[in-house]
Amino acid sequence: MAVPAVKIDHLTKIYSADLGKKPMCAVDDLNLEVEQGEVFAFLGPNGAGKTTTIKTMMRLLFPTRGFVEIFGIPNLSVKAMRSVGFLPEQPQIYGYLTGREFLDFTARLFRLDRSTRKKRIDDCLEQVGLIKRADGLIRGYSRGMMQRLGLAQALINDPELLVLDEPMSNLDPVGRKEFRDLILELKDKGKTLFFSSHILSDAEMIADRVGIVNQGRLVNTGKLRDLIEAQIRSIEITFIMTPDKTAKLGFEQANIVQQDEHMLVRLENDADVQRTIGDIMRLDGRIVSVVPQKRTLEDIFMTELGG
Amino acid sequence: MSVLTIAMNTFRESIRNRVMINILLFAVGLILLSIVLGEWSLGEQIKVIKDFGLSAMSIFGLLIAIFIGIRLMVQELEQRTIYLIASKPIRRWEIVLGKYSGLALTLIVNVILMAVTLLVVNLIIEGRIDLGLLPAVFLIYIEILLIVAFALFFSSLMSPQLSALATLILYMLGHLTNFLYEYIRVFPDKGFHWLLKGIYYIVPNLEKLNLKMAVVDHVPQPPHVVAWATAYGLCYIVIVLILTAAVFNKKDLK
Repeated sequence: MAVPAVKIDHLTKIYSADLGKKPMCAVDDLNLEVEQGEVFAFLGPNGAGKTTTIKTMMRLLFPTRGFVEIFGIPNLSVKAMRSVGFLPEQPQIYGYLTGREFLDFTARLFRLDRSTRKKRIDDCLEQVGLIKRADGLIRGYSRGMMQRLGLAQALINDPELLVLDEPMSNLDPVGRKEFRDLILELKDKGKTLFFSSHILSDAEMIADRVGIVNQGRLVNTGKLRDLIEAQIRSIEITFIMTPDKTAKLGFEQANIVQQDEHMLVRLENDADVQRTIGDIMRLDGRIVSVVPQKRTLEDIFMTELGG
Repeated sequence: MSVLTIAMNTFRESIRNRVMINILLFAVGLILLSIVLGEWSLGEQIKVIKDFGLSAMSIFGLLIAIFIGIRLMVQELEQRTIYLIASKPIRRWEIVLGKYSGLALTLIVNVILMAVTLLVVNLIIEGRIDLGLLPAVFLIYIEILLIVAFALFFSSLMSPQLSALATLILYMLGHLTNFLYEYIRVFPDKGFHWLLKGIYYIVPNLEKLNLKMAVVDHVPQPPHVVAWATAYGLCYIVIVLILTAAVFNKKDLK
């Protein structure tokens, strides 16, 4: 079995007390593995510990306990960072440089040679849609452009693992769509993506697996499809049948919704569904639709957070 | 190579920094103004110009060291631009050394500009260039490098305001250590002399790097004097940079 792209083992981060403040546990015994080639969404409300976890992964913070490995290598080693691209939340970038100069600076930190640097800079600028503004000073960039440039620098080394902290927070709807397309393109290339977000619809669209974190603890994790399918709430059957024949189905009147000629009944288990469909057919009724009512990621999220 | 990359970026940041350019222009202007001051002095015009010019270099070098040295590091931390550097495959000490090297490069350009201005003024007034000033200029540069190292160290530990204050106090104490030594010698029984002794042994003696009066008075400076003073300054710089790297190495970049 391939080593996981990210392994977080019993990670705990306690911020030491500042003057007049108590120590604060931001991440509490967090365990997590992200497989290679996976798109993993790290979800949670503000203050849940997402950014602290990511900063610890990226060696910006030191864990109080536990450790992080990137492709099997301890994250504190320089070698581990060679295959990682990182976009922090609301990236701040040197205003006195142009976009191109900044990418050249970051490419040099990865020790890319001159010709590779030139090619990667142009490719990344093209990928994030900044090629036309590449030679303008960064202090003149909008927040959305800064986000795009931040993403470009995260891609400069053609990383195997991309770690993105709230990557879509500064983007407009078009930017978010482009960003989602880019993530799917990177996924097709076999890259691993780990991103935090509080925009659940984005996570739902692109993530293979999600982890939900609250108060520093991982409260649920799993494949998105499994999480949603495991939580089918009910099945709605819509059918056309006269009211007198409908009465023969044996449901209480309160459980049947009538809209014009359409009848709607909501059932909780498969056996009832099979029996009801059979009865409708036998009584010459017409089935219009059978729709499972799944929980959305938002429902799961709210349940996990006790909402 | 990472050190060089960060150094060149720091240099680029400094030379695009308006505060530094303003301080530098003011310093150059003041050195030029020494011509007028020299006019007012009776028969000591050349001496006053050289003395004033070298002092201006020292003071403005200190100001640039404090403003730029502290600001560059604090800005990286406060504006969180450090996230994009520290998450790259480089070591924390490379960031410290890169920043310091970039500042050293900036300061050498500043010192050269101020020194050239002083020598041009010297040429205009005296009709010749006094190369005897150069050892003092060189040691001013070493002194500024030492101050920048301390500024960087303080700014990795405390707020920018406290860092500036601490650097300024260190500069003043550094020029007073000879007096401290005399005081301890004359009054050995004072209760707090252990504190003064501590300061005396920890704070660098910046007067060892001060040849201003000597070169203005044409006192010959044998090469070994400059060499020893340089070695003294460099030893302090290395120790302070190692301490800064050790602090930065353990620092949470929140």
